[in-house]
Amino acid sequence: MRGILRLTHSARLCAGLLLLAGLTGCAGTPELARLRAAPPALPARVELEQVPFFPQETHQCGPASLAMALTAAGRPVTPDALTPRVYVPERQGSLQVEMLAATRREGLIAYPLAPSLADLLAEIAAGTPVIVLQNLGLSVLPLWHYAVAVGYDLPREEIVLRSGLTRREVMPLATFEHTWARSGYWAMLALPPARLPATAREDTYVQAALALEQVGQTAAAHEAYRTALSRWPGNRLARMGLGNTAAALGDWREAEAAFRQVTRDHPREWAAYNNLAWALAQQKRWKEALEAAQHAVQLAGDQPQARQTLEDIRKRMKEAKSR
Amino acid sequence: MSSRFLRITSRIALALILVVTLPLQTAQAGLVSTEQIARGSAERERVLGLLERADVRAALEARGVDVAEAKQRVAALTDEEVAQIAGKLDEVPAGGDVLGVIVFIFLVLLITDILGFTKVFPFTRSVR
Repeated sequence: MRGILRLTHSARLCAGLLLLAGLTGCAGTPELARLRAAPPALPARVELEQVPFFPQETHQCGPASLAMALTAAGRPVTPDALTPRVYVPERQGSLQVEMLAATRREGLIAYPLAPSLADLLAEIAAGTPVIVLQNLGLSVLPLWHYAVAVGYDLPREEIVLRSGLTRREVMPLATFEHTWARSGYWAMLALPPARLPATAREDTYVQAALALEQVGQTAAAHEAYRTALSRWPGNRLARMGLGNTAAALGDWREAEAAFRQVTRDHPREWAAYNNLAWALAQQKRWKEALEAAQHAVQLAGDQPQARQTLEDIRKRMKEAKSR
Repeated sequence: MSSRFLRITSRIALALILVVTLPLQTAQAGLVSTEQIARGSAERERVLGLLERADVRAALEARGVDVAEAKQRVAALTDEEVAQIAGKLDEVPAGGDVLGVIVFIFLVLLITDILGFTKVFPFTRSVR
């Protein structure tokens, strides 16, 4: 790897690291072909001038690209501040998972984009810069590189990247696809949780919100679940997440409303009744809480958690009454 | 002086943290986490995904199993039941031919179980 980097005698190149199996070799530009066959309903050319530019230091395209995307999403941060979080010195690069994780640490949604050129352009047209992973070398001799796609010109078939030391690298879409395809078309967005990606897919987005909740970004996750529900109001996971994050933030009334909605939309979901029982117990509405807990037990089958909830609530009720 | 000050403030901080976080945590201990629910639906997707495979569909249809009906039954299983099925799938050794003989046998048994032709799994509720 080192030798290759020296041969190219350029600080422009750096190492992203790839954790993907089954990479395909050179195989034309199927995404560009799809774009030509069915031109998307997008403006002919777009460029997000406002996306800042941080020229990368040696090998550090990961931190630089991430800093540009996070700053554009309203979280001003320098590449230097991100380096310890995403850069792996031994590998002279940044792993994709760490790019996603560092985004979540800022309370932003880290959204993995579908492997589609049309989706990538649609996000740019919607005003969101896209972090892309390219392999500027060959499959057998990889030169991984992160860049930020900030513009395109459809008639000229060009893409504009903030890349390495170049503020405005204009690349033919065909060349771009070759380099992007060799990373398995990896791309991500960093977005405030109130903004849905233009190309958001239901499961992917809700999973991205869940990832925020899992890393303890409770308030951001709460907002992201709300954003998901504005588009997909019947999504069970998002609605449960909305309730759970409301509970974690101490708002048991909102939690109650969310869990109750799940019991309406998905009447067989024992977890919704179980959590509703807790939300009611927290408000000392014992009778309703017991009813919900009993309903949960009926639905839960062998699942012991619902039974535990029922016992706990009975005990708390007794304690509260004896006081 | 300063170390004593630190000791006292850290104790106060600890007490505050306990007071603030403990009731919340015990309350949340009973909540089913979003992650837990997501795991359940991921396993369901996986089992349903198998029914989307052309080879599996063909194999089931060849045995007179209505795939649409089979999917409805899987959708009606509880998370716990789906987890059992997914657990069985994990026991199947990877590799081999595309269809996976064991996956196939397992699925046929499950589906015929659900439809009431057989009774291999303890939790299946037959339709007939």
